[in-house]
Amino acid sequence: MDMIDRYLNAVAAQLPQDERADITAELRDLILSRFEAKEEELGRALTEDEQEAILREIGHPLVVAARYRKGPDSLVGPELFPYWLFGVKAGLMVLAAVFALTLFIRVIGGSDNFGQDIAHAFHGFFGAGLTLIGAATLAAAIFEHQGIRPAWLTKWRVKDLGAFGLADPAAWGASMTGTEAAKATWMPRSRAKPWPGGEYLFSFLATGMFVLWWIGVLHFPGLMSIQLRGEDAVVSGAPIWSILFGPILLYAFAQMAVDLASLVRPYAVRARAAARIVVAGGGLWLTWAIFEAGHWFTLTRGDETARIGGDWSMLDIDTLGRLGDGGRDLPGIASTLSVVMVWVLAFSAISLVCSVILNIWRVGRGR
Amino acid sequence: MSLDPDLYESMRLELRRGSLVLAVLACLRTERYGYTLRQALAADGLEMEESTLYPLLRRLESQGLLNSEWREEEKRKKRFYVLSPGGVSMLAALTDEWRGINASLDKLL
Repeated sequence: MDMIDRYLNAVAAQLPQDERADITAELRDLILSRFEAKEEELGRALTEDEQEAILREIGHPLVVAARYRKGPDSLVGPELFPYWLFGVKAGLMVLAAVFALTLFIRVIGGSDNFGQDIAHAFHGFFGAGLTLIGAATLAAAIFEHQGIRPAWLTKWRVKDLGAFGLADPAAWGASMTGTEAAKATWMPRSRAKPWPGGEYLFSFLATGMFVLWWIGVLHFPGLMSIQLRGEDAVVSGAPIWSILFGPILLYAFAQMAVDLASLVRPYAVRARAAARIVVAGGGLWLTWAIFEAGHWFTLTRGDETARIGGDWSMLDIDTLGRLGDGGRDLPGIASTLSVVMVWVLAFSAISLVCSVILNIWRVGRGR
Repeated sequence: MSLDPDLYESMRLELRRGSLVLAVLACLRTERYGYTLRQALAADGLEMEESTLYPLLRRLESQGLLNSEWREEEKRKKRFYVLSPGGVSMLAALTDEWRGINASLDKLL
């Protein structure tokens, strides 16, 4: 195989199958024409080095093949880049807040290795941050490749732009000084209508982080371990979470889809309310299934284990009143957490029922 | 103040980029293959890299502005390009636009 074949093979490997032969045939003619012209100029045959120099002038096979590509030349093009940058900045700020809060909780919870906690927080933040950047880039690349341009990119309205003014962290910092001028920069104007997309954007990012954690992409160091009298105790999930893995993931995706649709069309009140009724119905079913399982977590410390679980009998005010009376040993902590969990599930169910009622009302009124 | 050569090169390329399509269309009123087209452009002061010219020819053909055919010449098969009827109309329209821009810039410059 001579030098031209090796060069053209490298180009051909990057080209679409149906155009490969045609393009390489044309490139072969170009290369031979360049060789002949140079030979005519020098009055002799070209050496291998001279031939290679001409091929280098024509371009690296990857670059030459890339010029023939019909799709976009970049993962995030100039049109999408400002949106990508804003999404990444907002996501990183949310992640920083989550990890700072996690670190804070561990520190006030009596951590005995502060340095390791900080290292975990940084490790987690950078891992999650890189995942976020990768996910945002993948989303932008799909938008570029498919030529998708959501309505919020092209039909934006001035009244929807409020949240974008909050993108400058310097304004947040300035607000901390407490001067009137700084507050005026940071605080929303009282008469201005808040940007409805802010709520959906936050919900979308938060649910997205939950999904990444749920499928094991994102890790929150120390989330499933607690300190009991200076000893590490591990919280492990009961079988119900494995059984409901798919439905919970589906529920989170449905929630994200509603948030995304709301971002695109923040004023489509009836459609959003109808979708939320369906999602809340799914949430109610999940809450019921989790509650009915009766066993949610297991606390383990050394050889000792204790179940976190409960039933209807714990849903009374007296049990709630005795919440702080549980012992400080493993069964006592598990008993306290069981009561907390029962009431969390109950409040979750009540809030979902309220969401269904509210959204039925919104479907009827259209606002 | 001295001229920043890198900035100048970047702006010069940006200025020329839009005019290259017009130059290629104008040159292909006569049938040519890629190598001779590049030589013709270079002879008129419009150097163009092969890695830019050849994909551009395919794009213009896929847009219906050029016709092409493989033919043997000098003992080798070559792909010849020429303006299609659509290309002729496009060239006329772009030439009018170019002259308009040129006249406006002449007034400003």
